[in-house]
Parts: sequence; structure tokens; C-alpha cells
Amino acid sequence: MEYIYLLPIFFSGLGSLLCILPFLKFEEDISVIVAFGALFSSIYILYLPNFTTDFFYIDGLSKIFLVMTSTVYVAAVIFSIYYIEHIQNKLFQSHFYFFLLNTFVLTMLFTVILNNLGVVWVAVEATTVTSALLISTENDEATIEATWRYVIIVSAGLIISLIAIIFIYSSFQTLSFADLLKLYPKLSPSLERITYFGGVLGIIGFGTKAGIFPMHTWLPDAHGKAPSPISAVFSAVLLPVALFAIERILQAIPNDGVKVFAFTLGLLSIALAAFMSFNQVYYKRMFAYSSIDNMGIALIGLSLGGYAFVGSVLIILAHAFAKSATFFLTGNVLINYESWKIDDVKGISKTLPATGYSLFFGSLAVTGTPPFGTFLGELLILIAIFNTYGIVITLLTGFLLAAAFIGINFQTLRMVFSEPILEKRKENLIVIVPIISLLLALSVTFASPFIYNILFNGVWK
Amino acid sequence: MNHLDNAFLLVGFLEIAMVIFMQWEVYIINIIKTFSISSYLIAILFLVVGFINHENFILILAALTALTRGWFIPFYLRKILRIDKWRARETSPLVGISSSILISLLITVVGYLLYSLTLSNYIKSNLGSIPIALMLQGMFLIISRSSTFTQLIGYLVMENAMYMFGYIFPELPFIVEAGIVLDLLGVVMISGAIIRLREDVVQSGTEDYKELKG
Repeated sequence: MEYIYLLPIFFSGLGSLLCILPFLKFEEDISVIVAFGALFSSIYILYLPNFTTDFFYIDGLSKIFLVMTSTVYVAAVIFSIYYIEHIQNKLFQSHFYFFLLNTFVLTMLFTVILNNLGVVWVAVEATTVTSALLISTENDEATIEATWRYVIIVSAGLIISLIAIIFIYSSFQTLSFADLLKLYPKLSPSLERITYFGGVLGIIGFGTKAGIFPMHTWLPDAHGKAPSPISAVFSAVLLPVALFAIERILQAIPNDGVKVFAFTLGLLSIALAAFMSFNQVYYKRMFAYSSIDNMGIALIGLSLGGYAFVGSVLIILAHAFAKSATFFLTGNVLINYESWKIDDVKGISKTLPATGYSLFFGSLAVTGTPPFGTFLGELLILIAIFNTYGIVITLLTGFLLAAAFIGINFQTLRMVFSEPILEKRKENLIVIVPIISLLLALSVTFASPFIYNILFNGVWK
Repeated sequence: MNHLDNAFLLVGFLEIAMVIFMQWEVYIINIIKTFSISSYLIAILFLVVGFINHENFILILAALTALTRGWFIPFYLRKILRIDKWRARETSPLVGISSSILISLLITVVGYLLYSLTLSNYIKSNLGSIPIALMLQGMFLIISRSSTFTQLIGYLVMENAMYMFGYIFPELPFIVEAGIVLDLLGVVMISGAIIRLREDVVQSGTEDYKELKG
């Protein structure tokens, strides 16, 4: 029975193994099949009770992350088949690309079902190893530089979270998440102080991977230069998986100081994204800053707990679907306009109507516009901020979110509804993938009661 | 303070001295060799600790340290360096040599102060400032240099500092330690691949990438 919980990682692992064999020429079909296998098994797990062993800890949050990761996995694999045909100077062959993509997803699926915080660290670091080369698929100078920055900054940042793991282990004598939840109230004051430092360092370290200020600098480079399907997986899944590790730390160390620290970093991340979104020259980079904005507000929600925690999960889910759709669409824009610059892209709504309008709605979705799930999530979090920190901080957060909304949507409007510079073109059927993703971002709002049930009761009802 | 603590202090000071040497050294091969020696020193320290305390687990970690950080990683980096001969000397460090040394010394003091002000009241041992200073030095090596090799060594210095924490705090469970070593090897291999890729596209120092600004 318990092996059913491992089916998502089994499917992605199987995909990796089969794609690495160069004599098998069906890497695309294999990847699509295993991605759907991972998705169906993740959905099935929603109906099963929570599951804990020495090694695995699968609660409602893990189940939601499994479904989210698998859904983006399916979309990214299908979109990759279309996108990599258009890459001129590919760094490696198609089968190696799909091997890396399957392995990358495998490490992320693995991260969210683990019971041991130390092994969670190992798995998060493993996502760096498996994903780095994917960024440099397009094999040019800036891409390789972006890959290097990603590897060195994220690895150095994760060393900081390793100190956190050491501090937590020295205080609790265990890294089992299930045990940590029970042990915190019994800690002596001096050990509580060490776990406080552990919590703070854990947030900085894992925050590096989640694109949280001040260690976010790799994110716009990597998202901006990676192939679109990879940018989509990075933004939609990799950043939330790092936030998942932070949430585990916040659950294990429910210290007020740690929560305030997480809140502050979240707020600074939103402020950074708000200011940077106005002066962006490259559209993929602009959407990368939008990811920092969303991760910042999600971190704030995680730090506040209660219904703000539900708000964070709604944002993470809706952002995953909407942002992956947005990055897929920017891939289509890049293929047609052959430029990364916002100024070189005009009148998408006339040249590529489905892409243009979807990009417009995608941009609205990732900036928290109703009725998308991101709006409901932000609303819940703002109410919680008001109840905890008062009107001034709430207004400040609302102002920063509004600034990011204006900055990103203004630039998107300029690209979508300006005078076209290209003749109308026939849309590729692949545009259905981002459209379905956007519909999923919309459906998060209506699924919120079920999501609440999964989070607090563990099963889909 | 017992003999093992004295040994730890000695190794710690030598480690810091070696990183300060790395800060002003411009020949990459010497930096790699220094890193190798510093890793062997940590392995010897753990070997002694394992023997004296009769802990097989620490002996295994000492062997792993010598094998991976002392031998394999430096060997692998030197192999890449032999292919990319033009990388043998870093011509344009982002921070000048004299400033680097000064900042390194300051970082050591900051590491000590940071530890004294935050953790020293809660951790029985007063040796914790050494790994913290070493870690800050590793960070500075990453920031101050533009060579991929030196930046990677900076990361590895941070990793070694982490390992030294293992003396003060209880060792992590074996599955975690083994995972850390595997990840470390993974990062080094991937970095090696990226260094090789950079050879084809970047000829010297840090380029001014417009697409990676803002």
C-alpha cells in the first residue's frame, strides 16, 4: 500500500532512466507518458490518508505540492517538444535534455515527501545539480554565465541552511520532522536560542533557492536566460519547493523571532520586485521579478500561519499554473519575434492573438488580479497582516503589491496591445498548453475549500 | 581545554592562514594545491578524533574527506586546468591584493565578534568562531574573484568550514553526511562542465553582459 505514495517519483525516475539510453529514440513520448503517470498517481494520493515513516512524511501540503509539480511537469514536457526544435545551437541532444528534465522533477518530487530535514537539504541541493545544465541549453555566452551564477550563489546560500540543519540537530538530537513537531515545546531556553539562529539561517539559506531577498540575485539571470519550459519549471515549482523547506522549518521552530524575520525578508522581496519591475528591458527577466514578488508574499503568509498559510498555498498553486503559462507564452513570443527585449515586441494581440491575449491574462494572474487564485491568496494574507501588524504595515504591503502590479502589467500591455510590427501569423496548436494552465490558475479560487480540507484534514473531500 | 581542542585550534588557525594565502595568490594551481592541503589537514584532525574517541563513524568521514576533498576534487580541477592553460593565472581579481588581505583579516575579527555576540553564550565550546571566520572567508573568495576556479574553491572552503562545525556539534546522521558528500561531488562535476563550456565562449575575466543586468 505505502508504495503507492512513491509512484510519482517512480514515474519520473523511470523517465530519467529510459531517456539516458541513447539507442531509445522515443524520449519525447516516454517523457509525456511518465509525466502523466506522475500526475495521475499524485491526484490519486490526494484521496489517501497522510503517511509517515522514518523516511517519509506525506501530509496535505506534500500532496498539494506533488499535484502542482506533476501538473507543471506534464505541461513543461509537452511544451519542450515544441520549443527545443527552435533552439539553434543546442548544448546537448534531445534525449539528454529530457533525461535532465525528468531527473530535475524527480529531485523536486522527492524533496516534498521526506521526513528528515537533513535529507530535505540534500534533495534541495540535488535540484541545483540536476537543473544547472538545463539553463545553459541554448549555449551562448550570457546563458553559461547565468548558469554559473546560479550554481555558485545557490550552492553558497544552501551552505548557510546546512548550518541551520546542524543547529537544529544539535538542539533536538533528531532531524525527523514528525519528532521535531513534538519536541519544540520541551526545549530549554538556551537550546531554544540556538534553534532561533537555526531558523533564521534556514530561512536565509533556503530563501536563496526560493529567490528571497537578499540572496535572490541568481534568479533573474537564470529565469531570463533559460529555455522557456525550464524557466516555467524553475518559477512554478523549484522556488515553491524551496519555500516548502522553509515552511517545514517554520513548523518545526514556531518561534516569534523567526516568524518576524521571515516576514521582513518577504516584505523586502516584494519591495525589490516592485521597484525593479518598472525598469526592465527584457520581458522574461521582468516576469522573473514577478516570481520574487509572489514568493515574497507567500513567505509572509507562511510566517503568519493560520488562514494566511492557506493564502500562501493558494498563491503558490495559482502562481505555479499562471507563471508556467506566462513563461511558455514568452517562449512563443521569442520564437516569433526573435528578440528578448520588451521594446522589440509590439502588437502581439494582432500578430498572435491567442498568445497575446493569454499573455495579458497570464500577467494579470501572476500579479494578483481577481478572480485568479493569487488574488484570493493575497487577500487572506493582507487580512492576516492587518490582524497581526496593524494598518501601516498592511498599507505598505498593499502599496508594494500594487506597484508590482502596475509595473509588470504596464510593460505587458505595451507588448500586447501596441501597433504590430509583424504580419498576423498562424498560431501553433501548442498554445493550448498555456491556456489550460491559465484555466487551472483560475480554478484554484473555486477549489479553495477543497484545498483547505487537504491542508488541514489531509484528504480531498 | 583538552588536547583535541588544542589540535582543533591549531588546524583552525592553519585553515584561516591558508585561505588568506588564497586571497592574494593569483596562480590557480597554487590555490587548488592549498585547498587540497587544507582538506587533508581536516581529514587528519578527524582521524585523530575518531581514533581517540573510538568512533568508527568519524573515521569513515575522515577517509571520505581525504578521498573527495583532499584528492579527487583537486585532481579533477587540475585536470580541467591543464586543458584550459590560459586560466592558470587570474589577471583581473575584482578586489586588489592588498585590499583582499586587509579585508580577510577584518573578516576573521568579524567572525570572532559575530560568534562572541550571538552563539558563544549558548554553546559550551568557544571554538565556534573558527568555522564562522572560515566560512566568511570562503564567501569573500567568491565575491572578490572573477575566476570560476577560485569562486568554486571559495564554495569548497565554505563546505570545509561546515565540516569543522562537526567537531563542535554532534555529527549529522550518516545518511545526511553521505548525501552532502554526493551533492558536493555533483556540484564540482557540474561546475567542471560549466568551466569547460565557458572556455568556448568567454576568453578572460568578467564580461559586461547587458542581458544579465537590472
